Amino acid sequence: MTRFLAWRLLVVLPTLFGVLVVAFLLLHVAPGDPVQAMVGERADSATIVRLRAELHLDEPLPKRFLLYTAGIVRGDLGKSYITGRPILGELLHRFPYTLRLALAAMLLAVSGGMLVGIVGAWRPGGWFDRIMTLGAYLGVSFPVYWVGLLLILIFAVQLHWLPPSGSGGLAFLVLPALTLGMRSVAVIARMTRAAMQEVLQADYIRSARAIGLGERRVVLRHGLRNALLPVITVIGLDFGSYLTGSILTETIFSWPGVGRFVLNAISKRDLPAIQGSILFLSVVFVLVNLVTDLVYAKADPRISYD
Amino acid sequence: MTRSLLAAVLVLAACEGAGGPRSLTYYFTADPRSLDPAFSTDVPSGELIATLFDNVTQFDADGRLVPGLATRWEADRTGAVYTFHLRRDATFHDGRPITAHTVRASFRRVLSLASKGSRTWTLTPILGAAAYAAGTADDIAGLAVPDDSTVVITLEEPLNVFPKLLAMPASAIVPESIGPDFSERPVGSGPWKFVSWSHDDAVLLAANAEYWGGPPASDTLRVRIIPEPLTQAAEFEFGQLAVVEVPFSETARWEAEHAAELQRRAALRALYVAINTRRGPLQDVRVRRALNLGVDAGTMLRNVMSGRGVLSAGAIPPGLEGYDSTRAPYPYDPAAARALLAEAGYPDGITLKLWRTQRTELARIAQAIQQSLALAGVTIEIVERDASSARAASSKGEADLFLTDWYADYPDPESFNYPTFYSKNAGSGGNRAFYADPVTDRMIMRARGTPDAALKDSLSRAIDARIFDAAPWIFLWFPADLWAERADVTGWEIPAIFNGQRWRTARRVP
Repeated sequence: MTRFLAWRLLVVLPTLFGVLVVAFLLLHVAPGDPVQAMVGERADSATIVRLRAELHLDEPLPKRFLLYTAGIVRGDLGKSYITGRPILGELLHRFPYTLRLALAAMLLAVSGGMLVGIVGAWRPGGWFDRIMTLGAYLGVSFPVYWVGLLLILIFAVQLHWLPPSGSGGLAFLVLPALTLGMRSVAVIARMTRAAMQEVLQADYIRSARAIGLGERRVVLRHGLRNALLPVITVIGLDFGSYLTGSILTETIFSWPGVGRFVLNAISKRDLPAIQGSILFLSVVFVLVNLVTDLVYAKADPRISYD
Repeated sequence: MTRSLLAAVLVLAACEGAGGPRSLTYYFTADPRSLDPAFSTDVPSGELIATLFDNVTQFDADGRLVPGLATRWEADRTGAVYTFHLRRDATFHDGRPITAHTVRASFRRVLSLASKGSRTWTLTPILGAAAYAAGTADDIAGLAVPDDSTVVITLEEPLNVFPKLLAMPASAIVPESIGPDFSERPVGSGPWKFVSWSHDDAVLLAANAEYWGGPPASDTLRVRIIPEPLTQAAEFEFGQLAVVEVPFSETARWEAEHAAELQRRAALRALYVAINTRRGPLQDVRVRRALNLGVDAGTMLRNVMSGRGVLSAGAIPPGLEGYDSTRAPYPYDPAAARALLAEAGYPDGITLKLWRTQRTELARIAQAIQQSLALAGVTIEIVERDASSARAASSKGEADLFLTDWYADYPDPESFNYPTFYSKNAGSGGNRAFYADPVTDRMIMRARGTPDAALKDSLSRAIDARIFDAAPWIFLWFPADLWAERADVTGWEIPAIFNGQRWRTARRVP
């Protein structure tokens, strides 16, 4: 296991280097000028020329890449062109918010989605299954933007049960988590249902029933565990994407997470902020994938990394 | 696993502090760039700096220039030497006094940060300031401090808007020695003291009970960062925000449901299409006039902007000297537009690229322009880019047409002709039409320099009339601001200029 972990972490390095190169190149061939956003309106061209020089923006690409990479190796993601603040600090300040929202959304998606999927597979074609299949269909189809605003209108503006947006206590987490998790609830429900249905046809389920095990034990212990693998894959992928920032949900709910930071950085062409964010989020994504793989082994003893 | 997840969520959750009756909540659409005045180039930081700091001069909500740290000031006969007399009772929030030396140190600091991207243009009219900023002079020749409460400023050349430049955020007065985290935890002297700032979330301010102008009517001011306009509206209807700008798409509903809460004010802002006067057929004034005749701005204003604005016949908006309400806008006349194009040598029409940013409001206007001009024989290709790329292309002169708007930096007609039409400001300086006319240049410089207010007024009108004729813009309209105010809020009005609202009289009446 330790050897596997070490190997996996080692393999991550070239991946990250690749990310670094691609992000750097893409940003530097994209149009737009960070200096324009720095100086605002009414800046004379001499100011712009001076700042470009100050930021090494006119140096040849390879030299700039070396300068940047040298910083990364020292653990320095650089400072924002716009705010002058260190990028790493900005990301670390916002990441806990993103983590909180991702955990809440995932909790909702896993518990809701798996419950719906299991019950649906247990009595396929029943009224619960049919309503939930429709619900899952709608859940996947509705755009996040629309769902978020609708939830705000109903639960905050009309009913006054929850605050419309912002961060604070648990109450602030409910609506954004629902909005963000809704799609995953639907996907996980459908995955669970399909996998469970297949598993419940298997011979060993018939044997389990034949030896007189209770229905709950048959479905949950013998059925679910075997149906879990594809579901874990979906959970891992969705969680990874939540952790790397949910721009729409964070924007609608004024949630101060990394998604909005990245969006702002892109709109201002804040190169160090964009590159630093991409790198940071790649590390997060890779780590989530690694954890997913480890959970695989736990769920299915046939998988072994030794 | 599930239990530990739940525990993590619960542990991370904190309690939300409830705002009392003497607290106010306001909002920005974006996080301020920095709370260091030297780097204030964006509207949110400018608004906050007006509450946290004092300037030598400042604007009231109606956009009038009023005393700040200076109780009075006068210019000499040439209009190139200004003397400011400072009040003696002003102190920073940490108790340090503000003297003329503080003012000088503060101005030197902004200029010395030029290589870091500070906003210097509010101070560079001072004699020797540009050299000081460039590092070629050890001192600012035109900045003298004869005693503790007097600042004498000599300018490179006469400039009548100079006292207004000192009211801009970048000219705010900061303490002489400041900590390294000043941009995050500023110490000012304004009616509000800084308490905390959680990025992309909220800024909290507390009333300065010792303010020389008297303490604010409320105890705390919380400024939330809410990027989405419909969420802003929801927060207002929920009861949290004291005031909100009505989203354009919601105008009709709010006029019906919130009529009693609405406030309107003509904005010092022009919405226009910059015509690059250096490119191909656009060099011909007949083609530029044809574009103006071919755009049905009246219908667009009604349909796209719910009538929130006044059609423009020039660049100077209503509410400023130099605005001429008698001049009629270009009429909508596609036939006349075609005729003018034919006369200019384009009987088969022309094809132009119209650049725009991704603001939804601009997307609909760009489409309307495209449809409108098609009838006049002008084929428009819309180029949609993010704000940074579109502005960069326009600054380099690569865009035929650029749909954008211009906000007043300070309430003065000069803010609508010097940056936007003076030849040396072509490109990023604000003259996105690359308009260059020696006569206009001379008129602009004369209007800026004269100490005679009546002469400036008539010159401003003449400049605007000349620009209207030369048509370097497709003149669209001057938008009107529409805000809603909670029924229990008093003492607040829409500021005429972005940094004219210092939140000193606003409060909620229980």
